Amino acid sequence: MAYTEEELKKELETKEYEYGFYTDIESETFPVGLNEEIVKAISLKKGEPSWMTEWRLEAYRAWTEMEEPEWANVTYKKPDFQAISYYSAPKKKPQYDSLDEVDPELLDTFKKLGISLEEQKKLAGVAVDVVMDSVSVATTFKKTLAEKGIIFCSISEAIKEHPELVKKYIGSVVPKKDNFYAALNSAVFSDGSFCYIPKGVRCPMELSTYFRINQAGTGQFERTLVIADEGSYVSYLEGCTAPMRDENQLHAAVVELVALDDAEIKYSTVQNWFPGDKEGKGGVFNFVTKRGLCETNAKISWTQVETGSAVTWKYPSCILKGDNSVGEFYSIAVTNNYQQADTGTKMIHLGKNTKSTIISKGISAGRSQNSYRGLVQINSRAANARNFSQCDSLLMGNQCGAHTFPYIEAKNKTAQIEHEATTSKIGEDQIFYCNQRGIDTEKAIALIVNGFSKEVLNKLPMEFAVEAQKLLEISLEGSVG
Amino acid sequence: MLKIENLHANVEGKEILKGINLDVKPGEVHAIMGPNGSGKSTLASVIAGNEDFEITEGSVLLEGEELNELAPEERAHKGVFLSFQYPVEIPGVTVTNFLKTAINETRKAKGLEEMPANEMLKKIREKSELLEIDRKFLSRSLNEGFSGGEKKRNEIFQMAMLEPKLAILDETDSGLDIDALKIVANGVNRLKNDENAVVVITHYQRLLDYIVPDFVHVLLNGKIVKSGGKELALELEEKGYDWIKQEATV
Amino acid sequence: MELKDKLVSSFMAFEDTVDVNLPVHEVRSKAIKDFENLGFPSKKLESWKYTSLSKLLKSDYSVFPKNESSLEFKEVKKYFIHEIDSYKIVFIDGIYSSHLSETSHEGLDVCLMSAALSKPKYKIIIDNYFNKIAKTDGLTALNTAFSREGAFINIPRGKVVEKPIQILHFSTGNESSLLLQPRNLIVVGENAHVQIIERHQSLTDNPVLTNSVTEIFANKRAIVDYYKIQNDRQSASLIDNTFISQQQNSHALVHTFSLGGNVTRNNLQFFHKGEYLDSTLKGVTIIGDKQHVDHSTLVHHATPNCESHQDYKGIYADRSTGVFNGQIIVEKEAQKTNGFQQNNNILIDDTATINAKPQLEIFADDVKCSHGCTIGQLDDEAMFYLKSRGIPEKEARALLMYAFANNVLESVKIPEVKQRINKLIAMKLGVNLGFDL
Repeated sequence: MAYTEEELKKELETKEYEYGFYTDIESETFPVGLNEEIVKAISLKKGEPSWMTEWRLEAYRAWTEMEEPEWANVTYKKPDFQAISYYSAPKKKPQYDSLDEVDPELLDTFKKLGISLEEQKKLAGVAVDVVMDSVSVATTFKKTLAEKGIIFCSISEAIKEHPELVKKYIGSVVPKKDNFYAALNSAVFSDGSFCYIPKGVRCPMELSTYFRINQAGTGQFERTLVIADEGSYVSYLEGCTAPMRDENQLHAAVVELVALDDAEIKYSTVQNWFPGDKEGKGGVFNFVTKRGLCETNAKISWTQVETGSAVTWKYPSCILKGDNSVGEFYSIAVTNNYQQADTGTKMIHLGKNTKSTIISKGISAGRSQNSYRGLVQINSRAANARNFSQCDSLLMGNQCGAHTFPYIEAKNKTAQIEHEATTSKIGEDQIFYCNQRGIDTEKAIALIVNGFSKEVLNKLPMEFAVEAQKLLEISLEGSVG
Repeated sequence: MLKIENLHANVEGKEILKGINLDVKPGEVHAIMGPNGSGKSTLASVIAGNEDFEITEGSVLLEGEELNELAPEERAHKGVFLSFQYPVEIPGVTVTNFLKTAINETRKAKGLEEMPANEMLKKIREKSELLEIDRKFLSRSLNEGFSGGEKKRNEIFQMAMLEPKLAILDETDSGLDIDALKIVANGVNRLKNDENAVVVITHYQRLLDYIVPDFVHVLLNGKIVKSGGKELALELEEKGYDWIKQEATV
Repeated sequence: MELKDKLVSSFMAFEDTVDVNLPVHEVRSKAIKDFENLGFPSKKLESWKYTSLSKLLKSDYSVFPKNESSLEFKEVKKYFIHEIDSYKIVFIDGIYSSHLSETSHEGLDVCLMSAALSKPKYKIIIDNYFNKIAKTDGLTALNTAFSREGAFINIPRGKVVEKPIQILHFSTGNESSLLLQPRNLIVVGENAHVQIIERHQSLTDNPVLTNSVTEIFANKRAIVDYYKIQNDRQSASLIDNTFISQQQNSHALVHTFSLGGNVTRNNLQFFHKGEYLDSTLKGVTIIGDKQHVDHSTLVHHATPNCESHQDYKGIYADRSTGVFNGQIIVEKEAQKTNGFQQNNNILIDDTATINAKPQLEIFADDVKCSHGCTIGQLDDEAMFYLKSRGIPEKEARALLMYAFANNVLESVKIPEVKQRINKLIAMKLGVNLGFDL
């Protein structure tokens, strides 16, 4: 007998989170709760200069005046911000020259994830700055990068070693009072990555960071700052997996990208944090602020494949400030079981002849809710601005929802904006056609979903495309992959 | 090769096939003709295992093995190929990727390794030349925006790649101009050998000028009412179906 | 005193003028409480993000007109579709004008809400239909609280109404500023057909704010064809709340032509109660000056096998603002839904603004839904082509804009309405297009 839809559904439900394991590394954790003393303690612990401490405190004070946003199409139990520990770091802060010195248990974790540092170093030419529970524990390829003048390090290190750059740019794209979660992050961010590409330099390799949430009850507050100086180019990869945990974990990262004149930043994300189990228990809350600023002729391209998290709230955005600047957003968001995703982008056209493209593919299965929310804003001085948006939704089963909330605001008569959205399902005739060619239903669905997502998958760097395809299959099909 | 015994099938509770008997031996070409609504396409779908149709009686056997309870992909693995009358579009999936998946899934089912990339490429080149298929065509999304002729040619190209034991061509001639018809027929003839068999389902005799059948069957109201050699097709072309209907009612 | 407080406190005065023993008065009493709680919508509400009422609410509106006004037909003839025979329900400053009206009780009821609310023979209809689909937002609650007058149309089963019904509201300026709250109820029986034309017209520069609520019920296989012509003065603002409930196999079409007025907000909501029905929402907006038009539509697909089509075109000049807030909801039960939405806009000046928010909320998997939204300008090549054929710039632009709006007009079924709209559009574009539109 053929694989019935019922059987498929069942299998989807029972599909366990493949990367659900927990690394037992001794951690140093702060007492739970948040107040000015904790903020100061974090800053002190990290040996930060006083301007940074003050910056954090301002953010904290602003945060206490703010309210959690309610507008997203998600429902969840609000985190108790006083029940979270805001700092956790592996006890022995290691300084390694080679991987041999790294805690073997950590290496084992990466092996389970399929991330072999050695392999990545040798084969893919990817420098990996591994962030394990907020503190950077291994940085590679620094030498090659240093020769080109590229700085790629943890943000803590950057605060100490390159304060002039950090001071100038941190909070310049996402102000510390931007929104509730950005303010929280600004107050308590533990670590993250910093990257600076000097004038005219083309970064010779894909820069990559893997994030993981590990310590139970530890909020993760990453801070990433990427600066591409005039005429430079960088492709940055961010990949995330998290171990299985019962209680919800909060993740409120901030990513700021600065593309100066003629620079280009390509920022790709594959996110498969623990989405909760089939009853909707557990899973990561992902409330992220990602934003890039484009100066004249600059280009920022966001590509994301989101398959994880219980609740996602994420809008990688571009402020097209400079004339002729370009913003792109390519996204695949998969939700299954009880996952909820409210994700999209904002394209703010300020400069003349600015161009933006939005391609969003949402795939909903199980009892999940998948929303696209996007803003295209054409300022009155943004002559000849162009936008093209396409939002396609694919529904699998009759328990899930797909929603599209585009906001389009135009104040310039020369603007050209096109927005299209469609909703469809996988046709039974498509499945039968595949079956007749010897492809079983499960594989057929994978094939069709891949086809549906292709425009976005094509935008990923090779190293990521394979992993992303694998993730799509894992998230939707159970046994395949 | 294919043996159909007293096959009855329903769609949505309505009986469409009312006792079909058919015996196709290796190396043979059979044509099944009949007016619209006689059950021709239903027969093709039932052999391929489309679950919209329910077999209520009788059986379909491939090389002596009953197919009734097998899933469509299992039938495909055993060598059943259906050239669809209306091939569906699968956006974003290229012809090449689709074929690679189909071939490797079939090999996997047979316990074989995946086909090596160079072998696959060689085979694609060879078969696409046979059907005069442009390289660019292979990287287009499956059937999306294809003309009627391109869709049918693509079906036969897939048949060439998959090398089935039993190929059922459902109205493959519809929507084809004469040049495309010749290419398709030539492709089918070149693929034909003593080990495989072809069932051609058609409304018109036109295709049978190029794919010459050993046997012609007339399907009427869910039953085969007349069988004969290739001359029967010519007779039908000339006289239409009415005389058969009369003969059948008498 | 704030308008809200003024309204709440004038409810008691209102009660003196109506029969408080009628069951409908309970509905009103509850509604005034709802309004007291909800108040007027502010921009903080997602559905009012792009339209602000705060300026409008500053006027000291008269809630009850003091004196009756009369108008001669020749003064207002041009606001009627006078070329055709029709039923007419006409109000002057909110008060019924029997002189200008032509109502009927022969085989159908084309009459007054005040009569329907008070006469026993309409009780069953009022009980079954009045305030049954009107949403309880602040503005609708306010209208319900003061519901007393408006059009009442009841088409019995199988009746094909042979001539259109026109509903007209005039305001004369006898009050220094006036708040009007007409309440309409339209019940269309099984297999019945009706065509309705609605217009609000101010004849003065004194401010007028109309908060209108219309409930329409289309029973099985009924056809309701509704035209809203909005071309008011700069001093007049309109909040039109129209709710339509459709039964199996019914067709409901609403065309909204927004060509003038200060602030115009059209809340148009369709609710599906049966299968195989069809909802059509179309609109043309052409505005300039500081005018503001907001189309907020909702099609709520709750039943299988239904279709909805939305097509709105907008042209915005000067400092005008357009809003398109279109929502399609497809419930889990509504399999095989076809929902389409199209919104195209042209900005003529850099000072004009368009805000669009076309939303899809889909909970069923076997559906075909799409929306498209564009903002652009006239095609330069087409302009050049027309000019090279000797058509002057202004006419060429008008011609292209007319072409842009035209496919919305194609579905207008009353030729005289189509002609009138064409004339209004030509006026709006400031040209005589010189061909029979």
